[in-house]
Amino acid sequence: ARDQTWVCSDASSSPILLSLRRGQATVTYAQSLLGAPETRLTALDNGLRIASEETGHSTCTVGLWIGCGSRYETEKNNGAGFFLEHMAFKGTKKHTQMALEQQVESMGAHLSAYTSREHTAYYMKTLAKDLPKAVELLSEVVQSNALSEADIEQQRSVVLRELEEVEGSLQDVCLDLLHATAFQGTPLGHSVLGPSQNARTLSRQDLVDFIKSHYKAPRMVLAAAGGVTHEELVGLAKQHFSGVSFEYEDDAVPVLSPCRFSGSEIRMRDDDMPLAHIAIAVEGASAASPDIVPLMVANSIIGSYDITFGGGKHLSSRLARLASEESLCHSFQAFHSSYSDTGLLGIYFVTDKHHIDDMMHWSQNAWMNLCTTVTESDVARAKNALKASLVGQLDGTTPKCDDIGRHVLNYGRRIPLAEWDARIDAVTPRMVRDVCSKYIYDKCPAVSAVGPVEQLPDYNRMRSAMYWLRF
Amino acid sequence: MMSLAARSGAFSPYLQATNYAVAGPLKALIPGVVVKGEKVLVDTKKPFLTRESLNGQSPKTGPAVSVSINAKAAVRFAHTDIKVPDFSDYRRPELLDPKKSSQESSESRKTFSYLVTGATAVVGVYTAKTVATQFISSMSASADVLAMSKIEVKLGEIPEGKNMTFKWRGKPLFIRHRSEKEIAVEEAVDMAELRDPQHDKDRVANPKWIIVIGVCTHLGCVPIANAGDYGGYYCPCHGSHYDASGRIRKGPAPLNLEVPYYEFPDEDTVIVG
Repeated sequence: ARDQTWVCSDASSSPILLSLRRGQATVTYAQSLLGAPETRLTALDNGLRIASEETGHSTCTVGLWIGCGSRYETEKNNGAGFFLEHMAFKGTKKHTQMALEQQVESMGAHLSAYTSREHTAYYMKTLAKDLPKAVELLSEVVQSNALSEADIEQQRSVVLRELEEVEGSLQDVCLDLLHATAFQGTPLGHSVLGPSQNARTLSRQDLVDFIKSHYKAPRMVLAAAGGVTHEELVGLAKQHFSGVSFEYEDDAVPVLSPCRFSGSEIRMRDDDMPLAHIAIAVEGASAASPDIVPLMVANSIIGSYDITFGGGKHLSSRLARLASEESLCHSFQAFHSSYSDTGLLGIYFVTDKHHIDDMMHWSQNAWMNLCTTVTESDVARAKNALKASLVGQLDGTTPKCDDIGRHVLNYGRRIPLAEWDARIDAVTPRMVRDVCSKYIYDKCPAVSAVGPVEQLPDYNRMRSAMYWLRF
Repeated sequence: MMSLAARSGAFSPYLQATNYAVAGPLKALIPGVVVKGEKVLVDTKKPFLTRESLNGQSPKTGPAVSVSINAKAAVRFAHTDIKVPDFSDYRRPELLDPKKSSQESSESRKTFSYLVTGATAVVGVYTAKTVATQFISSMSASADVLAMSKIEVKLGEIPEGKNMTFKWRGKPLFIRHRSEKEIAVEEAVDMAELRDPQHDKDRVANPKWIIVIGVCTHLGCVPIANAGDYGGYYCPCHGSHYDASGRIRKGPAPLNLEVPYYEFPDEDTVIVG
């Protein structure tokens, strides 16, 4: 019969078009919020915390997140954490480098590490069934690193070469210089990589001292995400990590003192570079501050932009629209790096040497807009974008594991997506205006600029653009 | 810049801020690819405050320069070697301690700065206004000119019944010593009769002396004293008659003779103007 009934259609009889569930995602947003299993948290007797999320995948990421980074280093041993990260996979007391590599490769696993200003992480991505082996290898890497003199000497040149190569990544250079000037005179100003002088002179003893003072159980989190069961993980942790010390020599517990923020600027002018990389930032909120969520929404309002975006004048962020129409920049992004007691809230952009003045003007204009006249529709759009990005970022076991590790170190627990969602919903335009005014309005910014930066305005002019006389 | 400097050979020392011998891709200084820069003498007494000092001071052995045809030309001078100078000499006292957050003192620092700026602005505007006023008012009449605007007359020299004419501000000034009879007559005049009603009292400070400007209010001629039908002044041009108080009584003039400002510093003198 040619009679088309639309009401009762089963997949076999209806046309192919109807069987495509157009406009419907496979999982709704609400489901993705509540669908994630709860992150379970346990602590060992020595203070080491174990957190895991059991998602039922056949792979998993397991790692050790340690609450230490370049912020805990002094000028003399700045770069020790980074050096140690290089030494991590060069052999342990039980396995030589070859043996370690062979073990990892034969499992088909990925072993990596990263060091940041306040966190260090060693993690492994592997099949779920290889969890015991992974935890064993990780425990060796962290606790019984061989640190042979020969390897140390060899790694020196590697570190120096890496220092040389990072000069090519101007984004990193610019943001490193931003930290160096914003937190000048304080440990947060240290770069993670450390100066080349330290790379040449750090000794085995320095690295051993570093491990002894910072790799302590209460500051460590064994995090895992994927097809892992929490009980199994706890058992493995008890087996391998019970020996991690929790006492400090001479009871010298390293206490983080607050870091002074200095409104200042640093310009590394080189007219031979094609593009200028510039970052402007004010002191932001700490990771655990209640202002974090309004600030995330505020950054979402400014958003990010790249010259490859196709939206043109239809992009929703005002700054992005201007950047596209007036060709103000090649890219920009609003960022917020938060640490345990302070942060950097800023905008980073890359532009050519003739548009620096305009781009800086409009960036600060966007900030002023946030502090004074942000509207309901801006905030609504930003909230949706932020929620989408938070959910979208956790698209694998590794991001999830990283999330768990960092959250437990920062907050003492994993903040579930539903909680983020509730907090984001609670943000109103008034709140965005108030919070942004608190951090941005009439504050001295820190500016760092690399490249052909002649056009960058004088610091006093940039400082004057942090308030509006009309208000 | 480095490549240009390397290629220009003889001029290279003048094209760079810091001079390091570089092995060019075609012309090798010494065999090999990596050339270390010459040792820069570190001057520890010179404070680490300028770009020039940073350039030569930071890495102990100077930048290592490598130039070759196939590989990347590089100056190994990591950005992490850049040390932000210590600005403690210039900081406010609340910000000297790097372990203390700068947020707490932020309000008070800003208030201080803005108050000082505001006060300076107010004082500055006032100063500017004063200076400008002084310059502009220098264009107004000078003291000698201003002095000429007043006239001092010794009244003792004017006998009774007589009218004296003085030149004042380019116009004739009549001072008449009136007799008692004249005063009584003028005071008794009825307002209704007058074209420009004004009582004699309102036109004189001391009834003995009538001081008026001798310009006829009709078309500006000078009236003749002690003439006319009313015992005052008579303008010959068109026949305006003024009385002994200078008021118009007959004739085409519309108003009374103008009474200028005058004072009697003492019995015997009057200063007009």
